[in-house]
Amino acid sequence: MTLPHNLSNTNRRDFLYGLGASLGSVAFTDLLAAEAKSDAGPLAPKKPMHPPKAKACIMLFMEGGPSHVDTFDPKPKLTEMHKQESKRSAGLATGFRFFVGSPFKYNKVGQSGIEMCDQWKHLADPEVADELCNFRGCQAESLNHPEALFHMNTGSRLGGDPAVGSWATYGLGSENQNLPGYVVMTELALPQGGSRNWSNGFLPAYYQGTRLRPKGSPILDLQSPGYKNREHQREALKELSFLNQRHADNHPEHTDLAARMENYELAFRMQTAVPDVIDLGKEPQHLQKMYGLDDPETEAFGRQCLMARRLVENGVRFVQIFSGGWDSHDYLERGHSSRIRSVDKPMAALIKDLKARDMLDETLVVWTGEFGRTPDNNKRGGVYSLGRGHNIDAMTMMMAGGGTKKGAIVGGTDELGAEAVDCVHPIRDVHVTLLHLLGLDDNKLTYFHAGRYKQLSQFGGEIIPELIV
Amino acid sequence: MPTRIFFYLAIACFAIATTTSTRLLAADKPTPTAPITQPDAERLFALKVAPLLKSKCLGCHGEKPDDLKGDLDVRSLAGLLKGGESGDPSLVPGQPEQSLLFSAIKWDGYEMPPKENDRLTDAQIELVRQWIVAGAPWPSDEKQSELRKAEWSVESNEDGLIVKTSGGLADEWTYRRYDPADLWAFQPVKPTVAPDGQHPVDWFLTQRLNAMGFAPTEEADPRTLIRRASYDLLGLPPSPEETDAFVKLYSKNPEQTWEQLIDRLLASPHYGERWGQHWLDIVRYADTGGYSNDYERSNMWRYRDYVIRSLNNDKPYDQFIVEQLAGDELADESVRARKRSDEKAVRQTRLNGDYTPEESEWLTATGFLRIGPWDNAMVKVPEARQIYLDDLVNAVGQTFLSTTMRCFKCHDHKFDPLPTRDYYRMYAAFAGTQMAERPAPYLPTENLEGFEEGKKRVEQLLAYAIAEKNKLVNKRETAARKWFKEHNLEYVSLDKRKSLPDEVKPTRHVGLDYIEQGKLKIREQDERIWTRRLERYESMVQSVYNGADAQVKATYARKLRIKNNIDFTKQPQSTIFTGGSLEAPGEKVQPGVLSPVGLTVPQSDLEDPYRISSDLEGRRLAVARWIAHPENSLTTRSIVNRVWQHHFVNPLAGNPNNFGAKGDKPTHPELLDWLAHNFVEEGWKLKRLHRLLMTSHAYRQANTHPKMKELLTQDSDNHLLAYFPPRRLTAEEIRDSLLMATGELNRTVGGLPVMPEINMQVALEPRMIQFSLAPAYQPSRTPEQRNRRTIYAYSVRGQADPFLELFNQPNPNESCEVRDSAAVSPQVFTLLNSGVMTDRSIALAQRVQQETDRVDEQIERAFQRVLGRSPDSQEKPRMLAYVEKMREYHQQVTPEPSVYPAKITRSLVEELSGRPFEYEEILPVFENYQPDSKPSEVSAETRALADFCLLLFNSNEFMYVY
Repeated sequence: MTLPHNLSNTNRRDFLYGLGASLGSVAFTDLLAAEAKSDAGPLAPKKPMHPPKAKACIMLFMEGGPSHVDTFDPKPKLTEMHKQESKRSAGLATGFRFFVGSPFKYNKVGQSGIEMCDQWKHLADPEVADELCNFRGCQAESLNHPEALFHMNTGSRLGGDPAVGSWATYGLGSENQNLPGYVVMTELALPQGGSRNWSNGFLPAYYQGTRLRPKGSPILDLQSPGYKNREHQREALKELSFLNQRHADNHPEHTDLAARMENYELAFRMQTAVPDVIDLGKEPQHLQKMYGLDDPETEAFGRQCLMARRLVENGVRFVQIFSGGWDSHDYLERGHSSRIRSVDKPMAALIKDLKARDMLDETLVVWTGEFGRTPDNNKRGGVYSLGRGHNIDAMTMMMAGGGTKKGAIVGGTDELGAEAVDCVHPIRDVHVTLLHLLGLDDNKLTYFHAGRYKQLSQFGGEIIPELIV
Repeated sequence: MPTRIFFYLAIACFAIATTTSTRLLAADKPTPTAPITQPDAERLFALKVAPLLKSKCLGCHGEKPDDLKGDLDVRSLAGLLKGGESGDPSLVPGQPEQSLLFSAIKWDGYEMPPKENDRLTDAQIELVRQWIVAGAPWPSDEKQSELRKAEWSVESNEDGLIVKTSGGLADEWTYRRYDPADLWAFQPVKPTVAPDGQHPVDWFLTQRLNAMGFAPTEEADPRTLIRRASYDLLGLPPSPEETDAFVKLYSKNPEQTWEQLIDRLLASPHYGERWGQHWLDIVRYADTGGYSNDYERSNMWRYRDYVIRSLNNDKPYDQFIVEQLAGDELADESVRARKRSDEKAVRQTRLNGDYTPEESEWLTATGFLRIGPWDNAMVKVPEARQIYLDDLVNAVGQTFLSTTMRCFKCHDHKFDPLPTRDYYRMYAAFAGTQMAERPAPYLPTENLEGFEEGKKRVEQLLAYAIAEKNKLVNKRETAARKWFKEHNLEYVSLDKRKSLPDEVKPTRHVGLDYIEQGKLKIREQDERIWTRRLERYESMVQSVYNGADAQVKATYARKLRIKNNIDFTKQPQSTIFTGGSLEAPGEKVQPGVLSPVGLTVPQSDLEDPYRISSDLEGRRLAVARWIAHPENSLTTRSIVNRVWQHHFVNPLAGNPNNFGAKGDKPTHPELLDWLAHNFVEEGWKLKRLHRLLMTSHAYRQANTHPKMKELLTQDSDNHLLAYFPPRRLTAEEIRDSLLMATGELNRTVGGLPVMPEINMQVALEPRMIQFSLAPAYQPSRTPEQRNRRTIYAYSVRGQADPFLELFNQPNPNESCEVRDSAAVSPQVFTLLNSGVMTDRSIALAQRVQQETDRVDEQIERAFQRVLGRSPDSQEKPRMLAYVEKMREYHQQVTPEPSVYPAKITRSLVEELSGRPFEYEEILPVFENYQPDSKPSEVSAETRALADFCLLLFNSNEFMYVY
């Protein structure tokens, strides 16, 4: 019974007793129809600490480090200096370095005139563009992918702390007890650092991100093997409940037993709730098309964006989608243009769709990577390689909805895009702001672990008021 | 003998303080009191209020004068009187209720300071109140300083104790006071006494229990006892036969039977596996290095086996400590003695590995120094070095001293008497530690099974990677030749044309489309991975050697070897890094130990008795011997607390990795000290300690108590240990118990990591590493190879076995002091639906079918195998009916056969093109694979029986130990 401290026996018992007499005594057939009635579980909705701007968050994570100067942050000066020698001493690269101008042209789009490169066709739609808030002031701290990913996802580069989504569900619970409160979707490949990026860290395991896999079973072993049907499963659970109930009767003092029994009931409900929510066939054709499900290039990300909307609509608190391949050290033009094509249409569709359903105001959408990219590069294999290195001093984020400014550019980088110079903030401030929008105060959202109250920002951070309406 | 210097001079409180002010200054008395005199108020300000304002307010309201939050300046009386942007004064002397400062610190209106962690206590708030009531005097800086200094000579007053240390960065820290209760861990172990004829454990526990008005509970039944003892010592349940025999004998002669059981279990080779797992949790064992490349540490398994071996041999714990921290230095000393101080020979031996078995064992032990996650990819050399050393220093502190060293890396410790100087003294003690894979001959006892087959498979994978790579290289070079020819230039090889200008050579990937470019990168990476993997079959160990950074220069995670031309007379230089930053070197430091422990370095002849010699060699040995000193109270309490924890589910001191002020205090401090003292007296032997704890009544008590209701309200966390707490099986225990129930468990001890079957979706799922995808997970070929105990399963930092992860196997990036056991719904999916569980249920069904033909007897046997008991009169008919019903069901269905692919197509987004591409990976293990029995291969009867077996595996009775 090695319970974490905060879930002291007393609290835990309250929760379990709160489930009442239904445990074990209710037939699973009844549960099939019944909604989750328990409102006292660890994931039960909790009151925000202050009136929230956003109820849920969808984070689109571009793994590899998208280049700010080739997406949303134009640097004409860099174009002038293309292939000229760079004497900058930053990052790790040594030897001959040269500046790389962006291969893309830039436009001012929408009423607001925010800037994006010409590869963004759908995000440039005024209906979408004027919802966006581009943040150019963030600075990362780790030059390497896994540490930087850990930092952006968990507030610490060590890879052992709770993820942002874990903190959010810890603070707010989830609106739907039949679905995980924090859902993570990845491309086929896991990002570097793997599941540590959505781990509950030292928070209780209820708050870990649950991966919905793109292929195979969305949650591992969600369904019984093919030769066992649902009737078979129901029968098994009934017999298991019989065995467990007799055991519980012999151990009335042992309260953990009830939690484990309740889990079987919850799992049985999830087996239908999860396939339901991820069944995109229920969406009208035109919407599927809008998300790009009919095009191999956008299908994967489109599915995940559409699923994210369905999940949030069904009460999931935090959804994260990882999309890889942004690490363009070379051949940036084709790399970034292809990556942009694969996310542009789905992301624009997501924003439009949320807006059409009046959900955008209360759903925070964040598009980000783990760091930005350098204005210069070194030769590879003796050739001028047109790509960029890792840059922790400047990056770009795009936000929409959830109380962020509409059609705004916040912060700025220097004329080469080497470093953020205006409205400069470390990652922790972005985290604090994100929690703030969700109605949570980072300084109060703490968990006592290993001798101190820990928080997402580690030691506190600042809200970035410029981002907020 | 070293001198123990301890500092609680029982000097009475302030001579100068009046009775009134003594009461007023008492920090633990928040009740409002009468106004105080002016001189007292000035002292109150200088000693209490000013430091509070400094630590709680100035961060935002003073440290950056041009960026004052809310425009409020707390640095001076004038600033407070003026107030912040609200326009109202923050301070109205004499009128706390009208002072914004006062309401803000009460979190009444404003909430200051805003962080829960920094919030003022009621006692602190009261001090501020008194100061305001007294007219808020603000003496000059000089006067304040005078008042404070006068107080420093008083070691102990009602505010607490000053602890003598090597000194903080500021006097305020050096002379700050601690609540004596928070210093328990730094105090010497007190040799407490338990009366003769009483079991000491029970005596101490009963004292407290009685004081709370409770009596000890009854003893558990023998069936519960053997299961409890067996899981505790072996991590495995007893067999039905063992249980029956024990129960029978126990009724006749309980004491003797119980002691014999303990002795038998302690003598089992599986004891080391079970307790080794606890150790590996703390030290963060994994077979790979984590982060970007997640490189395999190919010989790390030898350290794992060293731990198991040491425990099985009951190696004294002090020796266990020294070997892990300085085994390489012990080996050097030993070689030096053998070779009559011929330094050249010592050096030569380091390179050729001509070590005796004992020396080789010592080198293996230093795997501890290599065990944290580390990769230098994209990290500058000095920073990569700092990351390694910070991790190591913290690991040493947490593991052996129950001290989280990270907490005083950037500043003097906020709560404990640990100056940042001591952090960097310890850092300096490890500053010469350089990572290397070193030759070390195998011991005759090491298990080398599977070397040949494993090596063959790796060679096959390597050959495939090279062949695939060469196809692409040839294609590129053919295109290059063509290009040179078309441009009337002579062909230049890839290496040589790197330096040519762009105009006179083809593009970098000439002749390859983006898919082929991506594939080439994959194959090149695979070649590196498999080449490296061959190191598994060489007699090397993950170890360290000594050298100054300036001599060693850069090290790369991919290949770590002893550097040849190091001048070993060069000493590493260390400084305090201000704020923990490499860019801010501060004061120089020499290697040393933690001063507040009050234990000086053995045989130190230095002026400062907490320092050790600055020579390159021997730094770690000196630290190790200090840690393993009988009078090191942190060390001895640390280990007995951990051993207690794994017998009684909860530790005596609640945070086994942090004995500081913020960790939970021991529930039974006298017992903890008794155990620590006795442990050292009796030769640091763990097996003796197990025996001692397990022969207590407390260990044998039942899970219930006659006064359970009262206990649940008065002692909800069972700190009194009034009844024995149940616990859920750990991930490893679950898997091992399943294999034991089915009869599949291969009890071989030690050897190369094994690859159990894991969820196939995860096994074949692509996983990013630097430049590429990691190779797919291939399970071991035969059931015997796969079905080893879980401690031998390959532990990859970047890819956890989803089954083990779900059941809270800890993340190997962080030291795990206590395992979580939260019940989450995905556990249900795995236990009910996974292939691994289906296979086990079929295996058990087959086992009991082989034992008997009658279904009711099969049910009986399965109950025995899984739950260690017979089904009762209700369970038996009900399960029989269930199996019958399932038999009918299964007669109607035909399961699909399982397929193991010998080849898979994988897909990756290529970084250079940003586009997805596919490539083929071979899985040669599946060419000749021996799968477990699958549903499609067994009869409807077996499947029906397996359904029932699966229920037993899912039952709470199986999952919990009582």
